[in-house]
Amino acid sequence: MSSPRERSIMSVFDFKKPFVLIGYGIMLISLAALAVSMLYPFGTTIFTSFKTKKEVFTFPPSFFPEQLQFSNYLEGFKYVDLNGAFWNTLILFAGNAIIPMIVVAFAGFSLSQMKLPFRKGFTLFFMCTLMIPSATYLIPNFLNLQSLGFIDSYWALWLPAGANAFNIMLLKSFFDGIHTELFEAARIDGASELRCFFQLAVPMSIPVFSTLLIFAFTYTWNDWYWTSLVITTPDKLPIAPVIYHNITQSANLALNTKFSVLTVVMIPPLVFFLIFQKNIIHGLNLSAVKG
Amino acid sequence: MHAVMFSIQYGLYGSYYGREVSFVAMELPASAANRKDRGLFRKFKDYFWGMMFLLPAIAVFCLFLWTPIAKGIVYSFMNIDFVNGSYFVGFENYREVFASRDTGIAVRNTIYYMFLGIVIGFWVPSLVAIAISELRWFQGSMRLLVYLPNIVPAVVLYTMWQYLYDPLGPINQFLSWFGMDTILWLADKGMAMIAIVISETWQNFGTTTLIYLAAVVGIPKDQYEAAEIDGAGVLQRIRYITIPGIRHIFVLLFIMQLIGTSQGFQTHIAMTGGGPNNATLTYMYQLTNEAFTRFDYGKASAMGVLMFVVLTTLSIGLYAYQGRSKNA
Repeated sequence: MSSPRERSIMSVFDFKKPFVLIGYGIMLISLAALAVSMLYPFGTTIFTSFKTKKEVFTFPPSFFPEQLQFSNYLEGFKYVDLNGAFWNTLILFAGNAIIPMIVVAFAGFSLSQMKLPFRKGFTLFFMCTLMIPSATYLIPNFLNLQSLGFIDSYWALWLPAGANAFNIMLLKSFFDGIHTELFEAARIDGASELRCFFQLAVPMSIPVFSTLLIFAFTYTWNDWYWTSLVITTPDKLPIAPVIYHNITQSANLALNTKFSVLTVVMIPPLVFFLIFQKNIIHGLNLSAVKG
Repeated sequence: MHAVMFSIQYGLYGSYYGREVSFVAMELPASAANRKDRGLFRKFKDYFWGMMFLLPAIAVFCLFLWTPIAKGIVYSFMNIDFVNGSYFVGFENYREVFASRDTGIAVRNTIYYMFLGIVIGFWVPSLVAIAISELRWFQGSMRLLVYLPNIVPAVVLYTMWQYLYDPLGPINQFLSWFGMDTILWLADKGMAMIAIVISETWQNFGTTTLIYLAAVVGIPKDQYEAAEIDGAGVLQRIRYITIPGIRHIFVLLFIMQLIGTSQGFQTHIAMTGGGPNNATLTYMYQLTNEAFTRFDYGKASAMGVLMFVVLTTLSIGLYAYQGRSKNA
């Protein structure tokens, strides 16, 4: 009536009851506390990166720095070659985005919109792999890459990234949402399958592609374990393993210096997230619907 | 002759015509053998592009997923030696795994880790999701906020939390306000695993919260309306409408969390290195130790296969249980 907002669990009438109001107040306070605990670690990381060495070691620790010491950043970059690592990350990301995307999109389109023999069998062939824990093939996968001669080459990361059943499922369910009639009409008009795919399906699936891009970016930027196993030359390593070996595991670096480098490493994903937040949340919802 | 020409001609126009053409072609005079040939050829034309599109995925899956899985099973029965050649040893690797004292510790730690993950982490997202869905203001910002820790690269997370957990760090300072003693979070045998679970929960609960939130928001509002008219209080509405509405996600995420945590090891490597006194040595950590520090690939593969058996049994059991309770 007067309230334009759609009701949720509670209605306007509930807000007139004192007990409900108290409960709602407690809930708001806990959410506020949660929000603070979400932001606090970011805050300390950023602010500690500006502190002087003396201030880092004082107790009780302060939240805001007494003075801003920007020289921590210059100091920090002496310990890591972030520039080289950054380019490595970009190259790795390009491959991690493009190669699996081609593989996965073709497979998803085929499973969803094309004539296939044994469709159920093929779907099972892909989806079964989701049930197998990565623990089972972690070691043999490494040995397999070794025997294929891929160790210390980016192909060892690019090609296996295509073997992702979850992404195939994501793409398939996306293509399932497009009406079959569209492709049938195109085929009757004489379009080849390739044309159906590139001129109809691909332009329509920009949102789901951007989700894949985001997944690839997060993975490339964050993974330090597997990448540092497969890539053995230090100069070829992307950012995460470089930071892990030189900063995270370093015992004699002061915290302010460590945090200055870590702040720099944290910023690109944050920017990426703020730009693509809609797509990220959308991708999450897609995966939730799948469940 | 005619009929063959027909099918070739139409075949060239694209597979989709196949269906209509067959209708026409059937009426043309043709020998039985010809018709069979035509069928095969048409089938091939029909399926050609579908298979071509699927081919890269099949190749990649075979090469980088199914081959390692198969090799893992084979390796688990072998002694892997790159210099002198590998040979079969039967169940020797498995016997070693069961005989090893470290495996016992690792299994116990992993179960404890899974248990803590449920006690500390599992209930949080659903509660937060319901709370956020009730927010009248800042709902969008809250959604962003809970997802924010996901954006932190793990390598940053480790140092960040090592600092927060420091004996002289912010968390102990916070506890001292309430008159509590200093806790040696990462150096204490009893606390190290708890500390790891808290930091991982902090980072990961945003994803699941958003999944729950989508489900909570999707519950039809008229159900609440009807319940309210019938006199149900707010908590009763949550108990009898909201929670049953997100139940299916509950079960799914429960299984997924169990599978995920049973294989956790990277945070343990980075934050505690398995210590203090093996208190955070998980099964997967032990597995990678066998492979990459002791180079006993056979034993590591055997541990992987055992993991597969246990997890598959577990998830089949849980799904069966869920199916049964749904029917009841």
